[in-house]
Amino acid sequence: MKEIDQIKLFDFLLKHKVENFIGVPDSTMKHFINKGLKLKKIIISTREEEAIGIATGMTLSGSKSLVFMQNAGFGNSISTITSLVQMYKIPLIFLIGWRGYLSSDAPEHLLLGKIQPDILKLLGIKTKILNSKNWKKSAQWALKHTDNGNMCALIIRREFHD
Amino acid sequence: MIKKQVINEICLKNKNAIIVSANGFISRELFESFDKPDNFYMIGSMGLASSIGLGIAMKLPKRKIFIFDGDGNVLMNLGTLVTIGFLKPKNLIHFIFDNNSHESTGGQPTMTSKIQLEKIGKVTNYKTFKVKTLKELKELLIKIKNISGPILIVIKINKNGTVSKRVKYKPEEIRERFINSIRVM
Repeated sequence: MKEIDQIKLFDFLLKHKVENFIGVPDSTMKHFINKGLKLKKIIISTREEEAIGIATGMTLSGSKSLVFMQNAGFGNSISTITSLVQMYKIPLIFLIGWRGYLSSDAPEHLLLGKIQPDILKLLGIKTKILNSKNWKKSAQWALKHTDNGNMCALIIRREFHD
Repeated sequence: MIKKQVINEICLKNKNAIIVSANGFISRELFESFDKPDNFYMIGSMGLASSIGLGIAMKLPKRKIFIFDGDGNVLMNLGTLVTIGFLKPKNLIHFIFDNNSHESTGGQPTMTSKIQLEKIGKVTNYKTFKVKTLKELKELLIKIKNISGPILIVIKINKNGTVSKRVKYKPEEIRERFINSIRVM
Protein backbone atom coordinates (compact mmCIF):
# COMPACT_ATOMS: atom_id res chain seq x y z
CA MET A 1 0.00 0.00 0.00
CA LYS A 2 1.41 3.38 -1.04
CA GLU A 3 2.60 5.99 1.44
CA ILE A 4 -0.20 8.41 0.62
CA ASP A 5 -2.89 5.74 1.09
CA GLN A 6 -1.45 4.64 4.43
CA ILE A 7 -1.57 8.24 5.63
CA LYS A 8 -5.12 8.66 4.35
CA LEU A 9 -6.14 5.46 6.10
CA PHE A 10 -4.81 6.75 9.41
CA ASP A 11 -6.57 10.10 9.01
CA PHE A 12 -9.80 8.38 8.04
CA LEU A 13 -9.84 6.09 11.08
CA LEU A 14 -8.93 8.95 13.43
CA LYS A 15 -11.71 11.09 11.98
CA HIS A 16 -14.13 8.24 12.57
CA LYS A 17 -13.46 8.10 16.29
CA VAL A 18 -10.74 5.47 16.53
CA GLU A 19 -8.93 7.07 19.46
CA ASN A 20 -6.11 4.64 20.24
CA PHE A 21 -3.54 2.98 18.01
CA ILE A 22 -1.42 0.48 19.91
CA GLY A 23 1.03 -2.09 18.62
CA VAL A 24 4.46 -3.24 17.58
CA PRO A 25 5.90 -1.55 14.48
CA ASP A 26 6.09 -3.14 11.05
CA SER A 27 7.91 -1.61 8.09
CA THR A 28 5.07 -2.71 5.81
CA MET A 29 2.85 -0.06 7.42
CA LYS A 30 5.51 2.42 8.51
CA HIS A 31 3.79 5.43 6.91
CA PHE A 32 0.59 4.67 8.80
CA ILE A 33 2.53 4.45 12.06
CA ASN A 34 4.66 7.53 11.36
CA LYS A 35 1.55 9.60 10.73
CA GLY A 36 0.16 8.48 14.08
CA LEU A 37 3.44 9.19 15.85
CA LYS A 38 3.44 12.74 14.47
CA LEU A 39 -0.02 13.25 15.93
CA LYS A 40 0.99 11.59 19.23
CA LYS A 41 -1.75 9.01 18.82
CA ILE A 42 0.43 5.89 18.87
CA ILE A 43 1.47 3.69 21.77
CA ILE A 44 4.32 1.31 20.94
CA SER A 45 4.08 -1.74 23.20
CA THR A 46 6.71 -4.34 24.04
CA ARG A 47 4.80 -7.24 22.51
CA GLU A 48 1.66 -7.74 20.49
CA GLU A 49 -0.25 -9.51 23.28
CA GLU A 50 0.39 -6.53 25.49
CA ALA A 51 -0.95 -4.19 22.81
CA ILE A 52 -4.14 -6.26 22.67
CA GLY A 53 -4.43 -6.07 26.48
CA ILE A 54 -4.02 -2.29 26.58
CA ALA A 55 -6.46 -1.84 23.69
CA THR A 56 -8.93 -4.09 25.49
CA GLY A 57 -8.74 -1.93 28.62
CA MET A 58 -9.30 1.20 26.58
CA THR A 59 -12.19 -0.34 24.67
CA LEU A 60 -13.84 -1.47 27.92
CA SER A 61 -13.54 2.16 29.04
CA GLY A 62 -15.52 3.30 26.00
CA SER A 63 -12.67 4.35 23.72
CA LYS A 64 -12.40 2.78 20.27
CA SER A 65 -9.04 1.13 19.61
CA LEU A 66 -6.92 -0.42 16.87
CA VAL A 67 -3.98 -2.76 17.33
CA PHE A 68 -1.26 -3.02 14.70
CA MET A 69 1.38 -5.68 14.20
CA GLN A 70 3.34 -7.71 11.69
CA ASN A 71 2.05 -11.20 10.99
CA ALA A 72 4.97 -12.60 13.03
CA GLY A 73 3.36 -10.83 15.98
CA PHE A 74 -0.04 -12.07 14.94
CA GLY A 75 1.41 -15.54 15.36
CA ASN A 76 2.41 -14.58 18.91
CA SER A 77 -1.09 -13.35 19.64
CA ILE A 78 -3.30 -16.28 18.76
CA SER A 79 -4.03 -17.38 22.32
CA THR A 80 -4.77 -13.81 23.37
CA ILE A 81 -7.13 -13.41 20.43
CA THR A 82 -9.06 -16.59 21.26
CA SER A 83 -9.12 -16.31 25.07
CA LEU A 84 -9.48 -12.56 25.42
CA VAL A 85 -10.70 -10.75 22.29
CA GLN A 86 -13.02 -13.45 20.99
CA MET A 87 -14.05 -14.96 24.33
CA TYR A 88 -15.05 -11.62 25.90
CA LYS A 89 -16.12 -10.24 22.52
CA ILE A 90 -13.96 -7.12 22.51
CA PRO A 91 -14.58 -5.07 19.34
CA LEU A 92 -11.02 -4.31 18.23
CA ILE A 93 -9.73 -3.53 14.75
CA PHE A 94 -6.53 -5.40 13.94
CA LEU A 95 -4.16 -4.02 11.31
CA ILE A 96 -1.76 -6.79 10.30
CA GLY A 97 1.22 -6.53 7.96
CA TRP A 98 1.49 -9.52 5.66
CA ARG A 99 5.15 -10.48 5.32
CA GLY A 100 5.74 -13.51 3.18
CA TYR A 101 3.02 -12.45 0.76
CA LEU A 102 5.71 -12.43 -1.91
CA SER A 103 7.34 -15.85 -2.11
CA SER A 104 10.67 -14.05 -2.48
CA ASP A 105 10.40 -12.33 0.94
CA ALA A 106 12.96 -12.91 3.73
CA PRO A 107 13.10 -16.57 4.85
CA GLU A 108 11.73 -16.04 8.36
CA HIS A 109 8.44 -14.82 6.91
CA LEU A 110 7.79 -17.48 4.31
CA LEU A 111 6.01 -20.21 6.24
CA LEU A 112 3.77 -17.97 8.33
CA GLY A 113 3.15 -15.75 5.31
CA LYS A 114 1.97 -18.74 3.33
CA ILE A 115 -0.48 -20.03 5.93
CA GLN A 116 -1.69 -16.66 7.22
CA PRO A 117 -4.98 -16.61 5.26
CA ASP A 118 -5.75 -20.11 6.55
CA ILE A 119 -5.00 -19.18 10.16
CA LEU A 120 -7.30 -16.16 9.95
CA LYS A 121 -9.99 -18.36 8.47
CA LEU A 122 -9.57 -21.07 11.11
CA LEU A 123 -9.88 -18.47 13.84
CA GLY A 124 -13.03 -17.16 12.22
CA ILE A 125 -11.69 -13.63 11.95
CA LYS A 126 -13.43 -11.48 9.37
CA THR A 127 -10.77 -9.95 7.14
CA LYS A 128 -10.26 -7.47 4.31
CA ILE A 129 -7.02 -7.14 2.35
CA LEU A 130 -6.27 -3.48 1.73
CA ASN A 131 -5.20 -1.90 -1.54
CA SER A 132 -5.16 1.59 -3.01
CA LYS A 133 -8.67 1.24 -4.37
CA ASN A 134 -10.55 -0.41 -1.54
CA TRP A 135 -8.94 1.02 1.62
CA LYS A 136 -11.74 3.48 2.43
CA LYS A 137 -14.49 0.96 1.87
CA SER A 138 -12.57 -1.60 3.93
CA ALA A 139 -12.05 0.88 6.76
CA GLN A 140 -15.78 1.65 6.76
CA TRP A 141 -16.48 -2.07 6.87
CA ALA A 142 -14.16 -2.44 9.87
CA LEU A 143 -15.77 0.46 11.72
CA LYS A 144 -19.21 -1.00 11.14
CA HIS A 145 -18.01 -4.37 12.36
CA THR A 146 -16.70 -2.96 15.62
CA ASP A 147 -19.82 -0.81 16.07
CA ASN A 148 -21.72 -4.10 16.03
CA GLY A 149 -19.46 -5.45 18.78
CA ASN A 150 -17.19 -7.67 16.69
CA MET A 151 -13.47 -7.77 16.08
CA CYS A 152 -12.06 -7.82 12.56
CA ALA A 153 -8.75 -7.52 10.72
CA LEU A 154 -7.39 -5.33 7.94
CA ILE A 155 -4.36 -6.74 6.15
CA ILE A 156 -1.57 -4.76 4.46
CA ARG A 157 0.47 -6.82 2.03
CA ARG A 158 4.24 -6.48 1.77
CA GLU A 159 4.71 -5.84 -1.93
CA PHE A 160 8.34 -4.67 -1.96
CA HIS A 161 11.79 -5.71 -0.80
CA ASP A 162 14.33 -3.63 1.05
CA MET B 1 -0.70 -14.10 55.26
CA ILE B 2 -2.88 -15.80 52.71
CA LYS B 3 -4.45 -14.35 49.59
CA LYS B 4 -7.97 -14.22 51.04
CA GLN B 5 -6.86 -12.05 53.97
CA VAL B 6 -4.99 -9.72 51.65
CA ILE B 7 -7.89 -9.36 49.24
CA ASN B 8 -10.31 -8.67 52.10
CA GLU B 9 -8.02 -6.06 53.61
CA ILE B 10 -7.55 -4.22 50.31
CA CYS B 11 -11.15 -4.43 49.12
CA LEU B 12 -12.94 -3.49 52.34
CA LYS B 13 -11.07 -0.21 52.46
CA ASN B 14 -11.20 0.60 48.74
CA LYS B 15 -14.72 -0.16 47.66
CA ASN B 16 -14.65 2.34 44.80
CA ALA B 17 -11.57 1.01 43.06
CA ILE B 18 -11.87 -0.70 39.70
CA ILE B 19 -10.11 -4.05 39.95
CA VAL B 20 -8.60 -6.08 37.13
CA SER B 21 -7.72 -9.50 38.50
CA ALA B 22 -5.33 -12.03 36.97
CA ASN B 23 -6.53 -15.41 35.76
CA GLY B 24 -6.47 -18.44 38.00
CA PHE B 25 -6.98 -18.46 41.75
CA ILE B 26 -6.69 -14.68 42.08
CA SER B 27 -9.86 -13.99 40.09
CA ARG B 28 -11.63 -16.86 41.82
CA GLU B 29 -10.67 -15.58 45.24
CA LEU B 30 -11.76 -12.03 44.45
CA PHE B 31 -15.05 -13.26 43.03
CA GLU B 32 -15.78 -15.36 46.11
CA SER B 33 -14.80 -12.72 48.67
CA PHE B 34 -15.65 -9.42 47.09
CA ASP B 35 -17.67 -9.60 43.89
CA LYS B 36 -18.75 -6.29 42.37
CA PRO B 37 -19.65 -5.19 38.82
CA ASP B 38 -16.52 -3.17 38.23
CA ASN B 39 -14.24 -6.12 38.87
CA PHE B 40 -12.85 -7.33 35.56
CA TYR B 41 -12.12 -11.02 36.07
CA MET B 42 -9.54 -12.46 33.73
CA ILE B 43 -10.14 -15.97 32.57
CA GLY B 44 -7.23 -17.07 30.44
CA SER B 45 -4.77 -14.62 28.85
CA MET B 46 -2.19 -15.15 31.55
CA GLY B 47 -0.06 -12.09 32.24
CA LEU B 48 -2.34 -9.52 30.69
CA ALA B 49 -4.19 -8.16 33.76
CA SER B 50 -1.56 -5.42 34.01
CA SER B 51 -1.94 -4.46 30.33
CA ILE B 52 -5.72 -4.28 30.58
CA GLY B 53 -5.45 -2.29 33.82
CA LEU B 54 -3.09 0.11 32.10
CA GLY B 55 -5.55 0.69 29.25
CA ILE B 56 -8.38 1.38 31.70
CA ALA B 57 -6.22 3.64 33.88
CA MET B 58 -5.30 5.81 30.89
CA LYS B 59 -8.89 6.25 29.82
CA LEU B 60 -10.47 6.72 33.25
CA PRO B 61 -7.99 9.05 34.97
CA LYS B 62 -10.44 10.01 37.71
CA ARG B 63 -10.91 6.43 38.91
CA LYS B 64 -8.49 4.38 40.99
CA ILE B 65 -7.42 1.28 39.08
CA PHE B 66 -6.14 -1.71 41.03
CA ILE B 67 -4.40 -4.62 39.32
CA PHE B 68 -4.42 -7.89 41.26
CA ASP B 69 -1.52 -9.81 39.78
CA GLY B 70 0.40 -12.93 40.74
CA ASP B 71 4.12 -13.60 40.59
CA GLY B 72 3.68 -16.16 37.82
CA ASN B 73 1.43 -13.79 35.93
CA VAL B 74 3.71 -10.78 36.16
CA LEU B 75 6.74 -12.82 35.09
CA MET B 76 4.91 -13.75 31.91
CA ASN B 77 4.49 -10.13 30.93
CA LEU B 78 7.33 -8.10 32.43
CA GLY B 79 7.17 -5.89 29.36
CA THR B 80 4.07 -4.15 30.64
CA LEU B 81 5.99 -2.93 33.70
CA VAL B 82 8.16 -1.03 31.24
CA THR B 83 5.14 0.38 29.42
CA ILE B 84 3.44 1.38 32.68
CA GLY B 85 6.64 3.05 33.89
CA PHE B 86 6.92 4.90 30.59
CA LEU B 87 3.31 6.09 30.47
CA LYS B 88 3.09 6.74 34.24
CA PRO B 89 -0.64 6.60 34.98
CA LYS B 90 -1.10 8.31 38.35
CA ASN B 91 -4.22 6.33 39.20
CA LEU B 92 -2.75 2.84 38.81
CA ILE B 93 -1.86 0.61 41.74
CA HIS B 94 -0.35 -2.74 40.86
CA PHE B 95 -0.56 -5.39 43.59
CA ILE B 96 1.44 -8.56 43.18
CA PHE B 97 0.45 -11.47 45.40
CA ASP B 98 3.77 -13.24 45.53
CA ASN B 99 3.77 -16.81 46.81
CA ASN B 100 6.77 -17.92 44.74
CA SER B 101 4.57 -20.33 42.91
CA HIS B 102 2.13 -21.08 40.13
CA GLU B 103 -0.53 -22.04 42.63
CA SER B 104 -3.38 -22.43 40.13
CA THR B 105 -1.53 -25.11 38.19
CA GLY B 106 -0.44 -27.16 41.19
CA GLY B 107 2.09 -25.04 43.07
CA GLN B 108 5.08 -25.29 40.78
CA PRO B 109 7.86 -22.83 41.70
CA THR B 110 8.36 -19.44 40.06
CA MET B 111 11.66 -17.59 40.07
CA THR B 112 10.65 -14.88 42.53
CA SER B 113 12.35 -16.81 45.35
CA LYS B 114 15.63 -15.44 43.98
CA ILE B 115 14.57 -12.48 41.85
CA GLN B 116 12.99 -9.56 43.69
CA LEU B 117 10.07 -8.07 41.84
CA GLU B 118 10.26 -4.81 43.79
CA LYS B 119 13.70 -4.16 42.28
CA ILE B 120 12.26 -4.56 38.81
CA GLY B 121 9.47 -2.17 39.85
CA LYS B 122 11.99 0.44 40.92
CA VAL B 123 13.88 0.54 37.63
CA THR B 124 10.62 0.74 35.71
CA ASN B 125 9.58 3.99 37.43
CA TYR B 126 7.05 2.64 39.91
CA LYS B 127 6.89 3.80 43.49
CA THR B 128 7.59 0.45 45.00
CA PHE B 129 6.70 -1.21 48.31
CA LYS B 130 6.96 -4.67 49.77
CA VAL B 131 4.98 -6.05 52.70
CA LYS B 132 5.16 -9.32 54.57
CA THR B 133 2.53 -8.97 57.30
CA LEU B 134 -1.07 -7.87 57.54
CA LYS B 135 -0.04 -5.04 59.84
CA GLU B 136 2.42 -3.71 57.26
CA LEU B 137 -0.23 -3.98 54.57
CA LYS B 138 -2.78 -2.05 56.67
CA GLU B 139 -0.32 0.76 57.27
CA LEU B 140 0.74 0.88 53.65
CA LEU B 141 -2.84 1.08 52.38
CA ILE B 142 -3.28 4.26 54.42
CA LYS B 143 0.07 5.68 53.36
CA ILE B 144 -0.47 5.27 49.62
CA LYS B 145 -3.70 7.28 49.66
CA ASN B 146 -1.55 10.41 49.36
CA ILE B 147 0.92 9.06 46.82
CA SER B 148 0.40 9.28 43.09
CA GLY B 149 1.05 6.26 40.90
CA PRO B 150 2.11 4.14 39.31
CA ILE B 151 2.58 2.21 42.55
CA LEU B 152 3.79 -1.37 42.82
CA ILE B 153 3.09 -3.34 45.97
CA VAL B 154 4.66 -6.75 46.34
CA ILE B 155 2.80 -8.74 48.99
CA LYS B 156 4.57 -11.86 50.17
CA ILE B 157 1.95 -14.50 50.91
CA ASN B 158 1.76 -18.18 51.70
CA LYS B 159 0.05 -20.70 49.53
CA ASN B 160 -3.64 -20.95 50.38
CA GLY B 161 -4.28 -24.63 50.49
CA THR B 162 -7.92 -23.95 49.65
CA VAL B 163 -9.53 -23.45 46.26
CA SER B 164 -12.22 -20.84 45.72
CA LYS B 165 -15.15 -21.40 43.41
CA ARG B 166 -14.96 -20.42 39.78
CA VAL B 167 -16.32 -17.07 38.59
CA LYS B 168 -19.97 -17.77 37.85
CA TYR B 169 -20.34 -15.16 35.13
CA LYS B 170 -19.68 -15.93 31.50
CA PRO B 171 -16.94 -13.82 29.88
CA GLU B 172 -19.44 -11.70 27.97
CA GLU B 173 -21.37 -11.06 31.20
CA ILE B 174 -18.17 -9.99 32.95
CA ARG B 175 -17.61 -7.52 30.11
CA GLU B 176 -21.19 -6.22 30.08
CA ARG B 177 -21.51 -5.60 33.81
CA PHE B 178 -18.10 -3.97 33.84
CA ILE B 179 -18.96 -1.59 30.98
CA ASN B 180 -22.36 -0.75 32.48
CA SER B 181 -20.95 -0.11 35.94
CA ILE B 182 -18.25 2.30 34.81
CA ARG B 183 -20.76 4.17 32.65
CA VAL B 184 -22.89 4.94 35.70
CA MET B 185 -20.02 6.46 37.64
